[in-house]
Amino acid sequence: MGGKSKVTFKYSLVALLTLSFALSGCGGGNDKNAAATDKAKETAATDSASSNTGGKIEPFKVSAFIGVAGQQPTPDNKIYKKIKEETGASFDMEFLAGDINQKLGVMIAGQDYPDLMTGSTKLTAAGAYIPLEDLIEEHAPNLKAHYADYWNMMKDPNDGHIYILPNYGVYNGKVNSSWYSGPAFWIQKAVLKEFNYPKVKTLDQYFDLIEQYKAKYPKIDGSPTIGFEILNYDWKNWGLFNAPQHLIGHPNDGGVVVKDGVAEVFANKDYAKKYYQKLNEMNEKGIIDKETFVQNYDQYMAKLSSGTVLGMFDQHWNFNAAEDSLTTQNKIERTYVGLPLVYDESTKDHYRDLAVLNLNNGFGISINAKDPVKIIKLLDTLMDEKWQKLFSWGVEGEDYIVENGRFMRTQEQRDNAADATWQLANKAKSLFEYLPKTEGSYSDGNSTDAAAQPEEYKAGLKPYDKEVLDAYGFNSYVDFFSDPPPNPVYYPAWSIDLIEGSDAKIASTKLNELQTKFLPKAILAKPAEFDSVWTDYTEQIEKANVKAYEDKINEQIKWRIENWSK
Amino acid sequence: MDETLEIDTGVRRPKKNKRKKQPITWRVIKNQNQLIWMSVPLMLYIILFAYVPVWGWTMAFQNYRPAKSFGEQEWVGLKQFKFLFTDDNFIRVLRNTLAMGVINLILGFVTAIVLALLLNEIKKVFWKRTVQTISYLPHFLSWIIVTGIVATSLSINDGIVNIVLMKLHLIKEPILWLSEGKYFWGIVGASHVWKEVGWNTIIYLAAIASIDPALYEAAEIDGANRYKKMMHVTLPGIKATIVILMIMSIGHVLEAGFEVQYLLGNGLVVDWAETIDIFVLKYGLAQGNYSLATAGGIFKTVVSVTLLLMANGISKRLGEERLL
Repeated sequence: MGGKSKVTFKYSLVALLTLSFALSGCGGGNDKNAAATDKAKETAATDSASSNTGGKIEPFKVSAFIGVAGQQPTPDNKIYKKIKEETGASFDMEFLAGDINQKLGVMIAGQDYPDLMTGSTKLTAAGAYIPLEDLIEEHAPNLKAHYADYWNMMKDPNDGHIYILPNYGVYNGKVNSSWYSGPAFWIQKAVLKEFNYPKVKTLDQYFDLIEQYKAKYPKIDGSPTIGFEILNYDWKNWGLFNAPQHLIGHPNDGGVVVKDGVAEVFANKDYAKKYYQKLNEMNEKGIIDKETFVQNYDQYMAKLSSGTVLGMFDQHWNFNAAEDSLTTQNKIERTYVGLPLVYDESTKDHYRDLAVLNLNNGFGISINAKDPVKIIKLLDTLMDEKWQKLFSWGVEGEDYIVENGRFMRTQEQRDNAADATWQLANKAKSLFEYLPKTEGSYSDGNSTDAAAQPEEYKAGLKPYDKEVLDAYGFNSYVDFFSDPPPNPVYYPAWSIDLIEGSDAKIASTKLNELQTKFLPKAILAKPAEFDSVWTDYTEQIEKANVKAYEDKINEQIKWRIENWSK
Repeated sequence: MDETLEIDTGVRRPKKNKRKKQPITWRVIKNQNQLIWMSVPLMLYIILFAYVPVWGWTMAFQNYRPAKSFGEQEWVGLKQFKFLFTDDNFIRVLRNTLAMGVINLILGFVTAIVLALLLNEIKKVFWKRTVQTISYLPHFLSWIIVTGIVATSLSINDGIVNIVLMKLHLIKEPILWLSEGKYFWGIVGASHVWKEVGWNTIIYLAAIASIDPALYEAAEIDGANRYKKMMHVTLPGIKATIVILMIMSIGHVLEAGFEVQYLLGNGLVVDWAETIDIFVLKYGLAQGNYSLATAGGIFKTVVSVTLLLMANGISKRLGEERLL
């Protein structure tokens, strides 16, 4: 009897243990969070006092989620090492792998947030960030001064709290710019040179040049010449969608054109039709790449990097890497010039705009952060000019030199700065990208961005670029564009949060879907069939409740005018 | 799903008879208490990971907002299902899912069985192993790599498919495979076959290995050639395995996939490429509408279970092996 009951006892013990292990794994998520935030508040209160007075550097870890794919810096990275030595902070960064929506969904479902997270309306909607306004007021004088003029804009339109510190768009001092990062019709420098640097203003002139060049040089380096490339892949779809608004002299407002404070969707308007009809015509002539609508971003970049693509509509930052590759291959003549094309010469181009605050981007502090005060203080410290220079220019003497108070680079330093492997060991690029930062110029007048320092830009120009610029009588490629007029208060409409799951968002998704489906069809159709595809397309759009989308934008434009005007 | 499954069809019937003779009494339970205790952790595992998550289905009837507690959620009844079923795209999406699911199912079965039969005929072990290894290696590649390979080989510049077809004078001009909806299902099916055929073959080879060699000898004595042995010994020998795997796979018909279609699809073929999963991603997850995503999941599960039961029932009628 004894033996048997012992066995039974053993088994029940095993079962009990299994059960308890299994059950301890689940449940209780919410309580834990609540407790954590409470604790955070407590420790924050006590901590802030001690860390200030002590003067001793206590090491602490900050985990950060970067919402784009990237590479980990090397363990002995120069800048991160300095940050650790002087502030005690070390960063544990997680880069996006895979799909951002999926990743955010998983993070939200599990309430699994690192301390710092790059901005996302999804995370805001899920209540993943803590409000920052009080923290900044109390602990972060540098940040407060930095954002002073933009304070109201940073407030979330839904509840009036500040959740995210925008990473770009706050300017100080004189703003030099010699690099245009925005949208344009791009054309190879070689094409302009071939035709003796003509002035290209309109869409027709542009395609005319490409057509002539392609006829003259059917092959480049042994591969067939591609006249025009359109990328329409995943969220990088503006190459197909956005051109019409620019062609009528309107700046980039995303999916709508705003006239006198009233927004309207332009996807189905006549001036859009005009553009796609032109593309249809060009396709018939074989100017447009046959594969253009089936390629993914990698294939697109590979084509641009090969130097066989004469032109495309895109944002400069999107294909920057391909240009770098062309430069490395020493094919400067195959890099691109951005042209602000319009339909007719009487229209003034408005591609270039004054920088706007990059809302919904940058860092927010999550509700799981154990010590928000420490983090905001760290961010505040890093806002200091000394750190800003270190992030942007690097270490004096190593990464740049100072001549008569002006920052310059030697050729070696220039080459280093463009070298991706070197960057991983010597720059805190991915972190700095999302940190609040000084833009424009420092108090000593130097540009915050090496590429924008006029002397540095001139010195770094290749002979080929000098020739192109001299031919046009310009100082930099930015001069191809008209000077931007002041931005309207609400600008840009593309940064309006449509609210996840709202009718407006669904309508915008639908619209997107229809454009992705019908526009390629229209462009690839036989010219005689273009009109029937277009009619089909506009009819579908009418069914898609775009009114809800326009209404939401208009409501927010009104809100911005009321709340952002000074 | 089918990787590790081992079906021992011999045991089934005797066990059933035994059960009839011996009703479950306290004595039986006492006698088998070790067995019962041993099954407890597994039961817990199943309850935890297969049944507890079903609780999440409540989300489909709410306007679920993360970070709010269960009590705070807003209940909306069948709204999400209504959105799902009344959307213009739903029929199209369902058609694509079913079509690609069925294509994958049939192609997958036929190719795996044929390959297994052929492999079985190879007498040199070295060659058999080599072919087997080469054919199952793609299984370990992720879809993102496979779709990359597929897209590259279908490209009109230097794509191997077009080059081969041109050299064979089957086509005059390179075909832009990924721009035509009518090719899309075929491409997806072919990619699946390339990736999974070797892996799916393993289980059939195992089943073939368990066929009594005496049967082959007998067949030989009766004058059967290779082909006849294949038809009358090998195939009937693995019939049970085929039927069981078929029943299980039918339950997965709606899992036509997500990655292939998402990664290979584009605006031109969207009418043929979009599956339920992609639709749910677009209007559910990407919109932060987790409820809709759940509703989509429930729909898929219900259809899958129905199909599974139907297949099982038909199989029973026909007097074949059954799963349940």
